[in-house]
Amino acid sequence: MTTTTETSTRRARLRTDVTLAAKVVPTHYPLETFIAVNPLAGLEGMPFEQAIRRAGDLYGMQGTLGEPVFRDMHRQGRITDEDLDRVLRRRYPNLTAEPALSIGGRQVSPQDLLRADLLHGLDAPKPLRRFTTRAEENAPAIADTVDAQTSKWCSAFFGGAAWPLPGREKGFYAAWRALAPADRSLSRAVRADLRRAAQRADDAVLEALTRLGVADDARIPYLQAHLTRMPGWAAHVQWCAGREAGIDALDYLAMRLTYEAALLAAHRGPVGPAADEQPADLPSARLRAAHLIEAMGLTAAGDDELAAAARVLTALPVTAREVLWQNAFEAHYRDELLTTLAEPRQRVPSGPPHTQFVSCIDTRSEGFRRHLESLGGYETLGFAGFFAVAIRYTDIVGGQPNDLCPVLIAPNHDITEAPAPDADGAVARQVAGVSTLAGAESAFHAAKEAFAAPFTLAEAAGWAAAPLSAAKTLAPAASAGLRRRLRAAVAPAAPTVINLDGMPHNEQVLFAQVALTTMGLTKGFGRLVVLCSHGSTTENNPYQASLDCGACGGQAGAPNSRTAVAILNRPEVRAGLCSLGIEIPADTLFVAAQHDTAVDRITLLDLHLIPAEYDGDIARLRDDVAEAGALLAAERSAQLPGAARELSPARAARHVVTRSSDWAQVYPEWGLAGNAAFIVAPREVTRGIDLQRRTFLHSYEAEVDTDASALETILTAPLVVAQWINCQYYFSTVSPQVFGAGTKTIHNVVGKVGVIAGHTGDLQLGLPWQSVSDGERLLHEPLRLMAVVQAPLARIDTIVERNPILQELFGNDWVALAARENPEQPWQRWTRAGWRPWEEIGGTENANPTHDSNYNEEMVP
Amino acid sequence: MTAPTSLPALTKMTKVEVVVPGSEAHAVRELIQSVGATGYTSLSGVSGLGHHGYRQGRLLFNQQATLELIITVVPAGKADALLAGLLPLLDASSGVMFVTETFVSRPDYFS
Repeated sequence: MTTTTETSTRRARLRTDVTLAAKVVPTHYPLETFIAVNPLAGLEGMPFEQAIRRAGDLYGMQGTLGEPVFRDMHRQGRITDEDLDRVLRRRYPNLTAEPALSIGGRQVSPQDLLRADLLHGLDAPKPLRRFTTRAEENAPAIADTVDAQTSKWCSAFFGGAAWPLPGREKGFYAAWRALAPADRSLSRAVRADLRRAAQRADDAVLEALTRLGVADDARIPYLQAHLTRMPGWAAHVQWCAGREAGIDALDYLAMRLTYEAALLAAHRGPVGPAADEQPADLPSARLRAAHLIEAMGLTAAGDDELAAAARVLTALPVTAREVLWQNAFEAHYRDELLTTLAEPRQRVPSGPPHTQFVSCIDTRSEGFRRHLESLGGYETLGFAGFFAVAIRYTDIVGGQPNDLCPVLIAPNHDITEAPAPDADGAVARQVAGVSTLAGAESAFHAAKEAFAAPFTLAEAAGWAAAPLSAAKTLAPAASAGLRRRLRAAVAPAAPTVINLDGMPHNEQVLFAQVALTTMGLTKGFGRLVVLCSHGSTTENNPYQASLDCGACGGQAGAPNSRTAVAILNRPEVRAGLCSLGIEIPADTLFVAAQHDTAVDRITLLDLHLIPAEYDGDIARLRDDVAEAGALLAAERSAQLPGAARELSPARAARHVVTRSSDWAQVYPEWGLAGNAAFIVAPREVTRGIDLQRRTFLHSYEAEVDTDASALETILTAPLVVAQWINCQYYFSTVSPQVFGAGTKTIHNVVGKVGVIAGHTGDLQLGLPWQSVSDGERLLHEPLRLMAVVQAPLARIDTIVERNPILQELFGNDWVALAARENPEQPWQRWTRAGWRPWEEIGGTENANPTHDSNYNEEMVP
Repeated sequence: MTAPTSLPALTKMTKVEVVVPGSEAHAVRELIQSVGATGYTSLSGVSGLGHHGYRQGRLLFNQQATLELIITVVPAGKADALLAGLLPLLDASSGVMFVTETFVSRPDYFS
């Protein structure tokens, strides 16, 4: 007889097993706060190369681009022989010392042979999912049924339909348990089985695992097989953990496992593994050698020659070739970038800047900064776009507050928007107008989704809706302008201010000190200092949040820049800063702004708070940001599908406006596609270089940061978020079937949760294909992030030593770290064994896992 | 071990202290609640020196990468289940756990 204690112990142990199993599943944020994540974050404790092999076993996914793509890049010159040779030499340091082989009368060096294998070798087998469920192994149709039921119940639970799931308030498992036995699509025997499901989700999982014959020590891989079968839904369930959403991984697994046990118990048909899922054999070294000798056009080789060539090839297993290609692919870009950054550049003689312009570190800011600097008089800086104010913000209209900060932290302060002095009446009109518009929109959508109302709606509103739809399609810019004017007429924008009551004075001073020190701006202030957040305006785009600011929780960051500016303009705060050694001149004015990255337009915020004496400065700023924006629009248009090439800045500026208003446009902008490096250094290091909007730029002045706290903050927060973004783009590109969201053209939105492709199936993870490819070629080159830091190496060591997260990222090759103390020093690469000259070791993996490690036996990451 | 004689009215309980990375703290708290513990105390951003070297305390903009100390007190009957869940969780992370007997004056608060 099982005692209560034994039962509790089994349940607790199961809960932990579920927690550990779920580590391999990413976290999927809802659409409104869509945050980039590394889908393999749970495997970051492993070296990258091992992690992608594990992911291949779990998901059957590619961890890099395929060899045919790499070979195409080689033919196009994007990867050169020299890149391959350097990677081979770095991985096999003794390679060049090996004697040449004599094959068919020709001398062939081992390096030539390995390079030939990369270029012409027999294909490696595709990764095969090895963590499988009983149903997958024995009755694939049942596995499909379990998936279909999962999709159905998850859609019902998360979908927010007009007819809510009965019993939803009791939680997912309770609601499912009450309803599932009435599902007439299942046989009577299965329904009877479901009626016996345990009342508690943990008991249901334990019971199902027993029925399926899963031993306790095989439990975690088995749970992982279920969690990775439909990773999208599982990933969103992961996000729900700790948010009192009524569902967790245990509930989700209870549903899936109970179905599987019941369906298999009632199964009468034939069982057996799916015929097309047999693992392919790896080609033998001898076979590879014979193939290469033929591909290299050598005459027939004797047995000894073949054996000698085979011996060389055994050093490079076919399964390791793609990672070598990846290293060569990355080394090409990284070596070029570091060489460019090391080149001495003539300093542009200029007086003190009249304006400092601080942008988000987002890669898109780089282009804007470059063009703005070209106009003269501007110094630009990069800083995380929440400007160090982690706030929960409620706007003037009220409603649900938004957390505007990186998801790594919880907001520290409740900040509200309030009417400007003497603007109570105007604000009341705006709020009433917004309510009217929201009410009309809500009524329209409610009528569309109700049972009979659509017929009436068509009669009543069809005459207006049809022409409006036609206008949105045929003249998107004009239509958007009309809607803007309508909105301005009904709800005219009223002047407001940021209410700082929720933030004590001493914390405001602390914030100001941290922000200015971390960005290295503690002296030489211009007359204006602009803090520019960013957001993106697009139409009919469920993935809009992916284009907004990651540092602001996937939202536009205007409230953050307004809050930061309000603080930094307070005389009391400046007095506090002065006592800390940061003296801001009395005539320096901080100004808030927002960059709309879809249209490259900068909007200056809170202009009503700017004294008249700055009118001339503001007018110049307005003209200059407009010009820089148009130049950037022209630069971006060259890469936007459907845009005419070589548009003038003025025409490009108009084109991007039309594009962002077009509800049929699947390529509104390229977001952070191309991201590949994160540079932490003074702007002098990068100024004047066209970095092609591929680099995150964080300003940093080592001499200001005497206690290393600023660099530690940069490396443990903005760098981490940048790495998430980098990995999201990376895996959406190399493994679009598992970690990409597929084509936008067949997306259906499920509530506020995400999208599915078509009418059923898994929730889509990652980015749509149109975010990384223009349909013919990849716009995003999937390169792992390289961090480039200009700071004392000992300081970086100290920071890495006390932060395991950095040891994992750098030591396991998720991020490569290059650094130098000053421009006179050559670049060094951080390795677990210490700093090494970049030239010697640049493309080498820190961890070089062997390929015969029996990692399948590990159960947890 | 018995209760200190000067405090005869105290009741023996089990105190479990866990130090884990912030990213694991939710799982620990959930486990504590799942075995029926009535509460816990959490302290985030703790620093110290241990098996994995020195660990930084509070980070300005990352609460997930720092260590968290979680303390709970449970009756002996619930301790076994809690430990059964915690042990494999800690085996898979860099956390540590301390289990001690403790004495409380209001046992009903913990049962």
